[in-house]
Amino acid sequence: MRSNPCEFEMIAPGSLHAVVALLANEPGAWLPIAGGTDVMVQYAAGKLPGRKLVSIWNLPELRRIEVTAGELRIGAGCTYTDLRKHEVVEREFALLNSAARWTGGSANQNRGTIGGNIVNASPAADSLPALLVYDAELILVSVRGERRLAYADFHTGYKKTLLAADELIQAVCLPRKFPGYFSHARKIGARNSQAISKVCIAGLGQVAGGVVEDIRIALGSVAPVPVRLRETEKALRGKIIDSDLLLAARQAAMAEIRPIDDIRSTARYRAAVAGNLVVEFLNRLHAARTSGEEVNAVLTGWNRLRVEEAVQQILPSCGSKAWAEGIAARRPFESGAALLEASDEIWRGLTPGDWLEAFENHPRIGEARAASSSAQHVSAQSVEWSAQEQRDVQNAEDAVKAALSEANREYEKRFDRIFIVCATGKSAGEMLEILQRRLRNDEATELHEAAEQQRQITQIRLKKWLQA
Amino acid sequence: MMDRSESRAKSEISFSVNGQHKKVRAYPMERLLDILREQLKLTGAKEGCGEGECGSCSVLMDGALVNSCLVPVLQAEGSDIVTIEGLASGDTLHILQESFLENGGAQCGICTPGMILAALHLLNGKPGPTMEEIREGLAGNLCRCTGYSHIVRAVAEAARRRTAV
Repeated sequence: MRSNPCEFEMIAPGSLHAVVALLANEPGAWLPIAGGTDVMVQYAAGKLPGRKLVSIWNLPELRRIEVTAGELRIGAGCTYTDLRKHEVVEREFALLNSAARWTGGSANQNRGTIGGNIVNASPAADSLPALLVYDAELILVSVRGERRLAYADFHTGYKKTLLAADELIQAVCLPRKFPGYFSHARKIGARNSQAISKVCIAGLGQVAGGVVEDIRIALGSVAPVPVRLRETEKALRGKIIDSDLLLAARQAAMAEIRPIDDIRSTARYRAAVAGNLVVEFLNRLHAARTSGEEVNAVLTGWNRLRVEEAVQQILPSCGSKAWAEGIAARRPFESGAALLEASDEIWRGLTPGDWLEAFENHPRIGEARAASSSAQHVSAQSVEWSAQEQRDVQNAEDAVKAALSEANREYEKRFDRIFIVCATGKSAGEMLEILQRRLRNDEATELHEAAEQQRQITQIRLKKWLQA
Repeated sequence: MMDRSESRAKSEISFSVNGQHKKVRAYPMERLLDILREQLKLTGAKEGCGEGECGSCSVLMDGALVNSCLVPVLQAEGSDIVTIEGLASGDTLHILQESFLENGGAQCGICTPGMILAALHLLNGKPGPTMEEIREGLAGNLCRCTGYSHIVRAVAEAARRRTAV
């Protein structure tokens, strides 16, 4: 049943002082409402517990982020958009930045607040595991004064918290003690975005000489409250990441959670996914720190670029705009290996139209420049790489060159695009042989074969780019 | 029928809508969406889900995209609201509206006002968005006709034209 607005009282006192005085006068009578992304949904469903609301939206005392040498103090009334835009959050608290990005679309990010998310206490909230691993503390305020407590102690049961009836969350404090940590966040939901998590993970870790020095793992949606996997962490600290440890970590994690069946998932599925997520995190941590002991400078620089610049910079490695945007959106990458893996994944998920766009960026085998009408877009970098890749053809005998040129034209007539082959390390003769064989392919087979060749070209170009 | 003793007083609430000053009498918990549609007769914003999931009631409030079904009207006091009705000037459509028309960005039309405002909000912050950023900027707006590719294309095209001007 929808609520009737005429039955509700609401005031907007305009200062934090006035709000806490009101809460103190009639403890429990007034429900604070910030951006309304949860309260208004309950209101629409006729499920609000009371009839009196006090607006705390946009209170200046709650909507600021203070940065000191030791900590970041985020006002409870800061929105997800505020968090996404904040430089220090982006640089030092990547897990919170990802969670802010994943929470709803921009309209809800413009209104949903970090304090509201904490008080709403959903075990599925994406930002809460991040707060756990960052050792967040909360400042609670009332007319009695302020008190500060560890966020880890705040949730006492399903939708139950330590917040007293006359208190508000004033700020969330994050100690700035995790620079250099590897961080990993992932949510598993029905879709990639706009979906409440079935399970989500936030992980922070540091590995030195192959040994786990510090590790922090928290999961959402696997217990009545967001949980820090302290037993699992204990089993991992001081150990070398190997297959035995992965197995032990999976078992420890599954023993430490209490998932339930609900409309979004089942307890069994959640337990299995929780185990997988912990193992994935450890694998990434391991890969990042073994392959990238000296972190790649090109990658680090690229990770920090604005999206548009990052797309421009990586585009010549492939030529497809959708690929470049897809891979730029997955930043930051911890290692070259992770970048190469993501490249393949994105490439395989593209449409044939995107593949064709990439093909158009190559010169015909034996020629210097791409011939397509859009060839003016082809970057200097791409032209230089093409020249390197096809070096062996430039040095081939004229007869072979002529035959290649002839077969190229036949290919173009047949498939209406240029012939794509990963030329690196292949002689002109070999290339001619491949071309003649592929001329016999049907359209669908040939498109996939060309796409596979382009995938290999992209891998080689990315490796060159990383070494630049 | 409601019990008279439960009834609260209406308040006078002022804000600007599409550049015009408006004063309304409303219960503070009335939804901005209902005030726009029923008192101000601006029916461009639509009610889809009524719980902030679909974006068809999107408007700009002080420049920020919001779901007007989740805004108690009291919180709009003193703010600047822009609805779809505020985009065209006279008979001249906004670049985004034109681009939606030309690129087939509207089918049944229910999501269109919200889509266009979400796109405007995106372009105001990022004049030259990538396709990925366009998709992210529109992520909170659902099209029940599933006409997303044309919508994304319409926004990309509008961005190109706007930066070209």
